[in-house]
Amino acid sequence: MRPTLSLIQREFTAYFFSPIGFVTLAVFLLVTGRLFGLALGLLTEPGPRGTEFPMQTLLGDEKFWLVFLFIPPLLTMRLLAEERGTGTLESLMTAPIRDWQVVAGKYLACLLFYVVLWLPTLAYLPVLLDLDANWKPRIDPWPVVTSYVGAFFAGAMFLAIGLYVSSLVKSQLVAAMIAMILSLVFVVAAFWRPEYDAGSLTTRIVYFLSVPEHFRRDFTRGIVDTRHLTLYGSITLLCLFLTVRSLEARRLR
Amino acid sequence: MIVVQDLFKYYGEYPAVRGISFEVPKGRVVGFLGPNGAGKSTTMRILAGFLTATSGKASIDGRDVFWDPIEARRRIGYMPESCPLYGDMRVTEYLKFRAGLKGLGWSTRRKRLEYVLERCWLKDVKSQLVGTLSKGYRQRVGLADALLADPPVLILDEPTAGLDPTQIRETRKLIRELGQQHTMLLSTHILSEVEAACDSVIIIYQGQVVADGSLAAVRERYGNQNLEDIFIRLTGQEGI
Repeated sequence: MRPTLSLIQREFTAYFFSPIGFVTLAVFLLVTGRLFGLALGLLTEPGPRGTEFPMQTLLGDEKFWLVFLFIPPLLTMRLLAEERGTGTLESLMTAPIRDWQVVAGKYLACLLFYVVLWLPTLAYLPVLLDLDANWKPRIDPWPVVTSYVGAFFAGAMFLAIGLYVSSLVKSQLVAAMIAMILSLVFVVAAFWRPEYDAGSLTTRIVYFLSVPEHFRRDFTRGIVDTRHLTLYGSITLLCLFLTVRSLEARRLR
Repeated sequence: MIVVQDLFKYYGEYPAVRGISFEVPKGRVVGFLGPNGAGKSTTMRILAGFLTATSGKASIDGRDVFWDPIEARRRIGYMPESCPLYGDMRVTEYLKFRAGLKGLGWSTRRKRLEYVLERCWLKDVKSQLVGTLSKGYRQRVGLADALLADPPVLILDEPTAGLDPTQIRETRKLIRELGQQHTMLLSTHILSEVEAACDSVIIIYQGQVVADGSLAAVRERYGNQNLEDIFIRLTGQEGI
């Protein structure tokens, strides 16, 4: 336990040693802030226009996911690729720590930073309360909760993909690029709308894989669909398992 | 303490280590010699658990490095060749992190940190970024890291490579002092260093042991030549 905690601490603080952490945080807040502004505009719109699901403006939107696509790979590219590149992996792997503990430590550290990334967005909630003179919430709180739940698990999946890619290559840049391409599988389906015959097989597959669609239709409307969470969970576990294997394979070469 | 039996390591088709066997008894300081590419680093990496041998056995203090890797690694302080470190951490930060990684508790962590900073003359640079240190200091940080958990066995891969003469002398002195408490296997290219600091030598060439024994015994076997002549004769580069 102690080695893992040590590793989590080191990896988490390392995000603040380099500009990458701050840049990601800034870009992320800029985008969510702008989208929140849009949602706020729709909520305060007088007359018949407005929005039924304000969270949908934030997270159900392609604009958000186009930016979000870059964020997990930027957080994970460093984790193992840098260690391989500079050779520090050798001192890490010869310490009395098991391979799965190395992977768990690194993964939890980036997951923690990912949570930190989302924390400032909680500041938007008091703004929403402020809409009402008596500080009564005038929006339904549950879609907000389910959106955060969805964002956590979807992010966990993208981070796991990034970590796995990072264990395969030596260059951080290559790690980020490949992780983005792989993440694209789960994002691009929303942009490429096939004929959209709701019953067709293509639509069902697209809907099954496409994270933005999950958010547009379910999470931002207050629905937690376990199929989506199962997909995120199993891809996460698969990638973490493959990462452990890829570290083990390194010893055999 | 260190037992190696019939160790083989293939990189693809290429055999880097071909059936090395040797033993290092407790408390001995052993110089591990050989030309570049002879398989020194590979052997040390297998002992430290960074690589897995293709076949053969290696154990540290009775713990097999393959079957009981965590316990074996707990007993080793390993300093890799060229000493890779995290450049973005401060010296004490780095050593604290390494101590945690080696499972040291809070009180021992502080005590050992104090000890290794003192032992490796790192007091003056303890709050400096590792990335800004000179080669000599980096090497000392690597050595301090190896000493952190107070392991019975030290495996040092070229601890004096790239140091200036004063630093080499300091490091050699340190090694000699450490040799009184630790079993040590150190690889080097500087033969005078072996004569100054080691009890016995193992010379390998093309992945095989060609000489193994105490300094005096090896010298006697080859007619009291100096180590350099023996080394050159054994590694087949006489003509050069």
